[in-house]
Amino acid sequence: MAGVAVRGIRKRFAGAEALAGISLDFPDGGFFGLLGPSGSGKTTLLRIIAGFEHPDSGRVEIGGEDVARMPVERRRIGMVFQSYALFPNMTVAENVAFGLRAAGVPRAERATRAAEALALVRLQGLGERRPHQLSGGQRQRVALARAIVTRPRVLLLDEPLSALDKALREEMQVELKRIQREVGVTTIFVTHDQEEALTLSDRIGILRDGLLVEEGPPETLYAAPRTRFAAEFLGAANILTGEAVPEGLRLPDGAILRAPAPARMVAIRPEAVTLAPDGSAPEGWTALTATVTARIFAGARTILHLERHGTALRASLPGGAPPALVPGAEARLAIPPDRVVPLTG
Amino acid sequence: MTAVLNAIGRGWLILTLAFLYLPILVMAAMSFNASPFYRLPVEFSTRWYAALMGNAALKQAAWNSVWIALVTTAIATALGTAAAIGLHRHRFPGRALLQAALYPPIAIPWLITGTAMLVFFYFLGIPRGSPAVVVGHVALAIPYVVIVVGARLKGFDPALEEAARSLGARPWQVAAWVTLPYLAPAVIAAALFAFAVSFDQFVISYFLAAPGDTTLPVEIYAAIRKGFTPEVNAVSTIVIGLSMALMLLVARLARFGEVR
Amino acid sequence: MRGPVPLLAPAYLWLTLAVFLPLSAMGFFSLVSDIPVGGRAWTLTLDNYAEFLARPFYAQLLWRSLELGAVVTGLCLLIGAPCAWVLARTIRGRWREALFILVILPFWSNGLVRVFSWAIALRGGGVLDWAVNAILPWDVRVNLMFSWWAVVIGLVHSYLPYVILTGYVAMQAIDQRLIEAARSLGASRRMILWRIVLPLSLPGLAAGAVLVFVPVVGSFMEPRILGGRAGTFFGTVIEDQFTAVFNWPLGAALSFILLAVVLAVLAAAAPILRRSQ
Ligand SMILES: Nc1ncnc2c1ncn2[C@@H]1O[C@H](COP(=O)(O)OP(=O)(O)O)[C@@H](O)[C@H]1O
Ligand SMILES: [Mg+2]
Repeated sequence: MAGVAVRGIRKRFAGAEALAGISLDFPDGGFFGLLGPSGSGKTTLLRIIAGFEHPDSGRVEIGGEDVARMPVERRRIGMVFQSYALFPNMTVAENVAFGLRAAGVPRAERATRAAEALALVRLQGLGERRPHQLSGGQRQRVALARAIVTRPRVLLLDEPLSALDKALREEMQVELKRIQREVGVTTIFVTHDQEEALTLSDRIGILRDGLLVEEGPPETLYAAPRTRFAAEFLGAANILTGEAVPEGLRLPDGAILRAPAPARMVAIRPEAVTLAPDGSAPEGWTALTATVTARIFAGARTILHLERHGTALRASLPGGAPPALVPGAEARLAIPPDRVVPLTG
Repeated sequence: MTAVLNAIGRGWLILTLAFLYLPILVMAAMSFNASPFYRLPVEFSTRWYAALMGNAALKQAAWNSVWIALVTTAIATALGTAAAIGLHRHRFPGRALLQAALYPPIAIPWLITGTAMLVFFYFLGIPRGSPAVVVGHVALAIPYVVIVVGARLKGFDPALEEAARSLGARPWQVAAWVTLPYLAPAVIAAALFAFAVSFDQFVISYFLAAPGDTTLPVEIYAAIRKGFTPEVNAVSTIVIGLSMALMLLVARLARFGEVR
Repeated sequence: MRGPVPLLAPAYLWLTLAVFLPLSAMGFFSLVSDIPVGGRAWTLTLDNYAEFLARPFYAQLLWRSLELGAVVTGLCLLIGAPCAWVLARTIRGRWREALFILVILPFWSNGLVRVFSWAIALRGGGVLDWAVNAILPWDVRVNLMFSWWAVVIGLVHSYLPYVILTGYVAMQAIDQRLIEAARSLGASRRMILWRIVLPLSLPGLAAGAVLVFVPVVGSFMEPRILGGRAGTFFGTVIEDQFTAVFNWPLGAALSFILLAVVLAVLAAAAPILRRSQ
């Protein structure tokens, strides 16, 4: 096992800059989620760590060692591809044992270790099948078993769950987390699905246009994003802008939104927007009125779409909302200042 | 109305198939006719097949055809497969031109290619004979190999090779364990194709083979030009039977490749 | 990975040496008075082309070959297009596959032997005579052997599968929903044929036509075996220059003229061929 570090990575493809200088530490034994919209450079960064691409400048270190001159096959990595890339001409067991065979492990040991790996992904007994005889979820597990059986220093996964349907994806997330914890391998997981990143990762890095926007533990990134991009990309957010004042922020209509610090732009999660019980907000909270424009029932929650002097707001209310709050009605809102997050840009 | 049209269409197809197969069947039937003048009705005999056994010139020509086809197959399959991989893997200026260059050997009438080779080889001092024939046959077979193998490569997921490398496989291991097994059905089909191209080739061999030491089709042609001999019927029946069996095999394998 | 050169060089060097250099060299040899080998005296000259122009015989033969190409191509289209349609659109499942292979199979078998088989079938007092006389009550002699028609029949037999193959591929790709949509809009059967089916299968049929026309114009073995005295065409005259008359420079010039015709046809058809892939 080993940590991974990248320093000042730049990569340009035929004119377009895919990575514009990225430095990141992937802690030893951790589960790191690389999150970003499509085209933000996630795959490129992963392939540079794997050694399939070479950075125009910058360093990649695995276990503290610069791997610039080390070809893919000597980096001792494990990789799971989006298409799974299972070898169609081999059985499941042969697929899993492939890396051991390449390393010259004797046949008998190969068989035991492949069987162990298959047991770890709960596919014992399917070793003699061919890949095309497996379901999507099973192929996924084979790909994972194949990548970890060689005890790699780093496990790299490029949107491995995106080809699965929702139920299977959620089941595989749990499995992936369990297996990663059992094996303890440093894992870098690429996804464009923020929920998946939040569920799985110990740390998350958010990429945008080849640059690192923010990085940190999921709870921190969610509760206290520093940028509008991170706030909106990780879950839903109300973004309000105005004038910075000592109490927080003055909205265009003159109302004061209380915040922990003066700010020109803030983010408020919809679940932080509450209804003032009898029309008055608790001491120190911000009280606002807004017009209901839509009311959406979402099972455990009800989402109110609101409008206030041209600014759209959303409130996510646990349980139901009072029946009176139909489109056109006035809602009295209360917002705790510690849930108002000042943004820097 | 539709049913009537369909029936007419099927009748037309059956007539066409009759047109395609009847002369071949007639020839095969005549090869078992005892009469050297093709007298009808057929009186069954295998005397012409027996006579074949004693025909040294035809036997020599058949042997030449077989080994020339085998050598052609080996060379054309190796070179063509490598070229298909090169064209598939790399993007470079001139690639489209190289792909287009595969078609002249197929599309230009063999008479032109054959006479051009004859003159050019003579100019270079390469004498007529089996080596020259092999050079010509390989050139005709390479484009077919590149096209057949290239078609299979289009369905190849490049992530397979990357997966193998990420698992620690060295380049030769990637080739031997992943790439070539995937290509195998197409390579086998291409090899059979190359064999058929060479074994059935008449025009190129006609211009490049040395008189008196030639290939089976050229020898058959010479015999036909000298006058009909029932032995030619017999050997032709064998040749056409073999080449049809070979192509049936190719058809099977080509489909086998798709299913995987 | 290394560059493409080690993978590509062997095959393309071979093609260059065995096809492209000979074709270019032939252009040169068509411009000399004698093949420059073994110290023979030679000069650059246009005489070989002048010979083609001076003797209408050659132009007539070229015309005869083009005419043969047109007739054979036309017959192949006439016979092959309906077959392709039946195979592609009315027969399904295993039967279609089996019939398709049956159509293509002779194509991949030995061409010389197939032409020879017609020599057996067509000869006077042969099977054809016998069959016709078995049906008709009066005595008929059908001796087609050594005639222009024998050559045409042999060539149609040789190249018909091309048209069926390319037509089949194009027709199979026609979306059935287009035809159903036209029907639902009230189009007649004839209108569907002329306005939808033909335009959509045209590229495939045109590709097939080119693939027939080009080799027929350059054929010499089929006319020799089936045509006898009626079998003199441009191809056989070229062959004569190389195997009987030994006037190689003239043969090279005639070959080059044929090549020019072929390339012109291929170039004209290139857009259609590309579309039909
Ligand atoms: N091999 C390549 N050639 C050219 N451009 C590429 C290549 N790979 C990636 N890119 C470009 O680099 C940018 C980042 O791509 P990628 O790393 O695949 O993003 P992501 O995985 O986040 O969707 C994109 O604009 C993409 O078009
Ligand atoms: Mg990606």
